[in-house]
Amino acid sequence: MSSLDVLTHTFSNGLTLAAEIRPAIRAAAFNLLMPTGLAGDPSGKEGLSNVLSDLCYRGAGDLDSRALSDALDAIGMQRSGGASRIAFSFGGAVMSDHLERALDLTADIVLRPALDPKELEPVRSLALQDLASLEDEPRRNVFIHLNRAYFTNEYGLSSLGTEESLQSLTAEDMAEAQKSRFKPNGAIMSVAGRIDWERLKDAVEARFGDWDGSAPALPQPERRADGCYVHIEQDTQQQHIGAAYAAAPLEHPDIYVSRMALGVLSGGMGARLFTEVREKRGLAYAVYAGAASLKGMGYVQAYAGTTPERAQETLDTLIAELKRMAEGVTEEELERARTGLLSSLVMGGESTGARANAIATDLYYLGRVRSLEEIREQIEAVDSASIAAHLKEFPPENFTVAALGPRRLEMPE
Amino acid sequence: MEFMHTKLDNGLVVIGERNEAAQSMACGYFVKTGSRDETPEVSGVSHFLEHMALCKGSDQRSGDDINREFDEIGAYHNAFTSTEDTVYYAQVLSEYQPRLIHLLTDMMRPALRNDDYEMEKKVILEEIAMYKDDPEAVAYWAARELFTNGHPSGNSILGTTESISALKRDQMKRYFERRYSPGNLIAALTGAFDWDAAIRQIEELTRDWVPFDVGRETPELKCANETMVVQNNQFMREHLVWIWQGLSFQDERRRAADLLTAVIGDDVGSRLYWGLVSPGAANSAIMSHCEQDQVGMFIAEVSCDPERAGEVVRKVQNILKDAVENGVTEDEIERAKQKAASFIVLDSETPMDRLFWLGMAWAYLGEYIDTDEEVNRRLSVTKEDIDALLADDPFAKGTLLALGPLETLDI
Repeated sequence: MSSLDVLTHTFSNGLTLAAEIRPAIRAAAFNLLMPTGLAGDPSGKEGLSNVLSDLCYRGAGDLDSRALSDALDAIGMQRSGGASRIAFSFGGAVMSDHLERALDLTADIVLRPALDPKELEPVRSLALQDLASLEDEPRRNVFIHLNRAYFTNEYGLSSLGTEESLQSLTAEDMAEAQKSRFKPNGAIMSVAGRIDWERLKDAVEARFGDWDGSAPALPQPERRADGCYVHIEQDTQQQHIGAAYAAAPLEHPDIYVSRMALGVLSGGMGARLFTEVREKRGLAYAVYAGAASLKGMGYVQAYAGTTPERAQETLDTLIAELKRMAEGVTEEELERARTGLLSSLVMGGESTGARANAIATDLYYLGRVRSLEEIREQIEAVDSASIAAHLKEFPPENFTVAALGPRRLEMPE
Repeated sequence: MEFMHTKLDNGLVVIGERNEAAQSMACGYFVKTGSRDETPEVSGVSHFLEHMALCKGSDQRSGDDINREFDEIGAYHNAFTSTEDTVYYAQVLSEYQPRLIHLLTDMMRPALRNDDYEMEKKVILEEIAMYKDDPEAVAYWAARELFTNGHPSGNSILGTTESISALKRDQMKRYFERRYSPGNLIAALTGAFDWDAAIRQIEELTRDWVPFDVGRETPELKCANETMVVQNNQFMREHLVWIWQGLSFQDERRRAADLLTAVIGDDVGSRLYWGLVSPGAANSAIMSHCEQDQVGMFIAEVSCDPERAGEVVRKVQNILKDAVENGVTEDEIERAKQKAASFIVLDSETPMDRLFWLGMAWAYLGEYIDTDEEVNRRLSVTKEDIDALLADDPFAKGTLLALGPLETLDI
């Protein structure tokens, strides 16, 4: 097990830099996270964050759209990031020799984007096309509808927006959002790879040190307490079923108890959902459940895709398995889930991009970066009694279900 | 990094690239069999067989046993089937090496029990239905079938609802007995592993495996040269797929072809990007180079509003014509190289990532190429190499398939 330390430094403007130094690796991955995403878009401007993210790449600093793109490509930067409900992210991965140049360009993109009104039209057109493409992507679409049904405030909005909201976006909206929401206080720059810490700190300070201010805080996420069923009628080959229900938030002290329970449900091919839905009944090719997090709120999203004739049986089996978790887990299941988590702790850390994201996630939710040892201890401490107690506190119930396809389904009981 | 390889008495080749700095290891079996080795009546059998081996057990293990045991060692594991290969792979912490090798090796002798076969058939039919909801996949495979003009490299991997429904367990068993000879398999190891222990264990476990001859027919590809419009009202967008003849995995020029496609059709910063995506004429436009055993293809994929499909097709034609007539610039090539270098390095970080590079190079070239060498070979491609490809006008003859709401294309 690695015991690499993550170094952190908070600048006077509130920007936190965190880095994991990995000398054996030739690359460096980085991510600048600003904690305001589409949940902070003004009313009626759904999708603004996504459009703004794209627009920032269309010219920044002294570079026009093409020159900026060429400059990023000249250092072979693999771009990553975008707008989520809770954050804007700008980042990428490069050979470590190119890291400082990548930071130059990222500073231009975030602090000095051109936001050229002429570029807004093609970006809007692409956003409208992405929205239209949803009809051709039922599996993605069902989660958009699930989200709308599960959340009762801004967190239910779609990053893709609506035709009406996208049409309403103006160049002024873009300029105003960039000016008021791209702020350093609470922002996180995470880096993993072959780097020199002192030099990196200076490099980040030189590029982001003069930046100042705070973005308006996001609203707290709100969700419905009772379950519900939403049907989206579409003539598809498969019925796509999504479900959401409450679970422990990432900040919860027992988060690894929660993750172990989820591992029993859907960790590997021997876990309950795969076994019961796919292996024993052959109902689906894809079936899984995964953790999702917002600040102060955790939930689980589950999915199964099946042909319409078998959709009711699939939904019944899925919900029955989710509820059965409340009855507790066996010692064998627990040990398998533990091994799975411990292994992925190590194996997931072997990619620099994954580490840069994990560091940012810890800082965002917890305000500090957990060491691998600390996480390992938490995983080792879970037993069947703590799982049983945890599932009493967070019982899988009150499911919000969205089903897209030709057949309307009945919620079990 | 240290490379090692050996061939066991039964013909099974074992290769390894050891990385002492890794904290885990990966292991995989590369079977040189895929949908191109199927006859029409067993279309989809390679992939169905892969499911049976991965999840349904051997003579000594039930399907539940296999799934459970992989979880007991915390493995990331899976398998995939292509037109060329069937690959079973897993990554674990190094302490689990013996259990992992035992499991994977056992999987290569699946039991193919009747009840399991019937149950898994349902899963395969669900997978086929799932891909029917994905217009890019539907268009891509229809385009390959059109282009390959009867050549087996266009064979569908999944098969069809009809072919899978009709497929009998005995046909699968015969296919297995024809293809899974130890000499047609490669066992590969990457990351932090114990080579001597691995060899001893694999030798012991495969002692009874009887070798036999396995071939692959590689007829000449006589590609089609036509446009086909497939109207499908399930979909809202028009999905366009072009295919032209490219370079095979064995052809050293494939790396130049790869860079050329990046210049023309990388997802950002390419000619297709500036010509189509940046102005908003299409929401996605990419070109890739697909390298296979003895055949290769240039493939371009675009999705757009149906009303603009005609305009988009003309734009693509102009972009290609311009590249062939006027060439591409040194700057463009340099950027493509830098992107390729980053991609190769970042795509080689974990033992699992490295496993695929290692296995494929050995399966088709009998060659070990480490990450630095792979990067160097991209960086050493010259403008002359790319000019030489363009001089043959690779886009002169090929196919275009349009799938979506349109009945005809206005071009």
